[in-house]
Amino acid sequence: MIKLEPPAFITRHVLFALVAGGLGGVVFMFFLLEFDHYSSSNEFCTTCHSMTYADDVYQQSAHYNSASGVRASCGDCHVSEGIIMATYDHVIGTKDLIKQLFGKADYDDPVVNLLHLPDSAFAAREWFRKRDSATCKRCHELDAIQGTRANTAAIHQEDTDGKTCIDCHMNLVHRHVPSEQTFKRAAWNAMVEEEFDLAPGTAERLLAGEETPVQEARAAEQAPTTAGEGAARGTRFGSAD
Amino acid sequence: MNAFPHRPQPRSPRRRPHRPQALVAWLLLLLAAAVAMPAAAEKVKLDPSEWGHPAGAACASCHEKASPGIAEQWHQSAHKSAGVNCMDCHQAESADVDAIEHEGHIIATIVSPKDCGRCHEKEYLEQEGSVHAEAYAIIADRVPALAHNVTGPEMQAAGCDQCHGAQVKVRGDGTLDPATWPNSGIGRINPDGSKGSCSSCHGRHAFSKAQAREPAACVRCHSGPDSPDKEVFEASKHGMIYAAQRDAMNLHADTWVAGKDYTAAPTCVTCHMGAAGKVPATHDVGLRNAWSLNTPVSERQYLVVLDDGSKLELPADAKPPKRGAELTKADGSTAKVKVVATPERRRLVMSTVCLECHSKTMTEGFMQQFDDVVELYNRKFGEPAAAIMAGLYDAGLLTPLPFDEPLEFTYWELWHDEGARARHGASMMSPNHAWWEGMYLVGRNFYSRFLPQARAAAGDQVAELVDAHIDGAAGHAWLARGEEANPILGWMPPPPPAEPPAPAAATEASPTAAEEPAPADTPEADAGSAAVATDTTVAAAGADNADAAAEEGTP
Repeated sequence: MIKLEPPAFITRHVLFALVAGGLGGVVFMFFLLEFDHYSSSNEFCTTCHSMTYADDVYQQSAHYNSASGVRASCGDCHVSEGIIMATYDHVIGTKDLIKQLFGKADYDDPVVNLLHLPDSAFAAREWFRKRDSATCKRCHELDAIQGTRANTAAIHQEDTDGKTCIDCHMNLVHRHVPSEQTFKRAAWNAMVEEEFDLAPGTAERLLAGEETPVQEARAAEQAPTTAGEGAARGTRFGSAD
Repeated sequence: MNAFPHRPQPRSPRRRPHRPQALVAWLLLLLAAAVAMPAAAEKVKLDPSEWGHPAGAACASCHEKASPGIAEQWHQSAHKSAGVNCMDCHQAESADVDAIEHEGHIIATIVSPKDCGRCHEKEYLEQEGSVHAEAYAIIADRVPALAHNVTGPEMQAAGCDQCHGAQVKVRGDGTLDPATWPNSGIGRINPDGSKGSCSSCHGRHAFSKAQAREPAACVRCHSGPDSPDKEVFEASKHGMIYAAQRDAMNLHADTWVAGKDYTAAPTCVTCHMGAAGKVPATHDVGLRNAWSLNTPVSERQYLVVLDDGSKLELPADAKPPKRGAELTKADGSTAKVKVVATPERRRLVMSTVCLECHSKTMTEGFMQQFDDVVELYNRKFGEPAAAIMAGLYDAGLLTPLPFDEPLEFTYWELWHDEGARARHGASMMSPNHAWWEGMYLVGRNFYSRFLPQARAAAGDQVAELVDAHIDGAAGHAWLARGEEANPILGWMPPPPPAEPPAPAAATEASPTAAEEPAPADTPEADAGSAAVATDTTVAAAGADNADAAAEEGTP
């Protein structure tokens, strides 16, 4: 019989530390797995009010209601696969959390949120591009993208050299944002001002942090309604006689 | 004959001994041609070495699969055989309002006349400022009163703008506003500021000459109740012969000069823009039109070419503007007059096209018939109706708001639909449109709807606001001859009781003669006012007027 003798440096304390550390490590791994999983869910992401604007549009998209019934969650697209990369993405993503909590801009305000949307879109596209659209390919495998239409298959086989999914397939889920090369800040600001019925120049001041976000500012305002006066003449349509 | 009749002729002092009487006319024509076509000889401006954008080489591979229809059209096109690819037309700068990034290249969806003009400079400059290019600008401030109020703004994109063109809006997110795009209306205001749409007539992406020479190129807009030019053409002798002789039209020919490259029949292009004999081709489609036909009252008009390339049409009853004079344009800006073409010159150019097939006598005779119809419309209906409407507005009896009173629809249809139809029918020889679809309806509307409604609106001011414009006018004097029977409606008064000594020839005149001793002696002026007063006339059918009519009509 061979009797295993632990080396002398394995003292009782060391053994305890090893066992405790090992168990702790396993627990931590489970924690990371669970944490990455939970923190990739739609529920977690939308705990920040600022993310609900992205959520609204996403819920109208085919990635939310797909023909196959498969629903891609926030994390399915925006968090890498594998515990290491998933954890890394979440750690890096913490910067958004810090900006949300301590940043100058109030991303919960719909106007401020929309004004900053292009920057998020450009960053997200770059993220996809750097990873060769890896998260797209979790679902859209090569077989799947051959499509039912012969021409779709041919395009993917013959015309995609040097391209990754995001190069062609953008503006699929979230609100349309132009490419960075053709983005025009002034035009975007004007669009936001028109959409929220704001005076020209408001967007620029909001971006510079000189103005209080619109939600608060607007509470006081009440648009007076003008009653239409009807001095209709006898021969007009819709008149009493 | 010159081997290249579409080129502007050098003004040679040599006489034409065989037709000296036409010398003045020819000189005028050549002057007009030279003036209108400064660059008729250049076919394509941009150097061919600059065609074939390197970034455009790869487009087709994907588009053959993604959009095989347009790819195949391009493959079959003259553009492709010349080496012109997608990027030659669709290239854009990042700073362009409507620039988008597509497959790594900066492009624009909309190819504007300015883009086409990089090569097709002559055509671009000709269409610039033409009535086609201004089709949206001309009606922009009027559209809301009809499309928005009477129906809804939705109709502007689906209706008005599809022909007149949209003011294309690029949204802040770089997309084209679907309320303004897709659009290929001919007066489209493009994001680059240019006006017009070449693809309005030249279907994408084949850009076939033959297709644009077909009358069908014009039909999308020039049809329907207000400008039934398709229907008018088809119902004319020109259209009849075209339908039968289409195979002989040589539509695919490189040059298409009437009388030289084809003789079978004319199409819209032939008369309104095509080369014919010595008349050069033009993309200013309204250039040869002496009259305005789509206005409440037609006017012969000057064509004024301004130094910034834009054009103005001014009524010919005013003095012609002098060369170099400053004129205010519709948008408020000013420009200097470069050239003025009188209506006579414009008519001369049009008539010269006719001469490829018709004699001068026949051409002049036809133009006389056409002018007579327009003048009749003006004198008898257009001018009095406009004056009556102005009077009612001025007196506050109609609200300034258009279309909130039935009379306004009546008046609108009188000139815009029926009146335009009559004038277009006469201009292009469709008897049916000149008469039944046109002037007959104008007359019916004027007497049975317009005047009764105008009288009702005028109330006790009917005499000065309505009747003053009708009484005494020769065209309306017939209303006074109430006793003049005619079998057209199937009724004739019974013959008078037989009197043995009556002479045989007097039977027709006898009914009136029996009732009233001398109706034929009534002076003209009296007859006019009597027409308005008699309660049996159509014109006096307005209920409000019945009492007054009965009072005055009492013997």
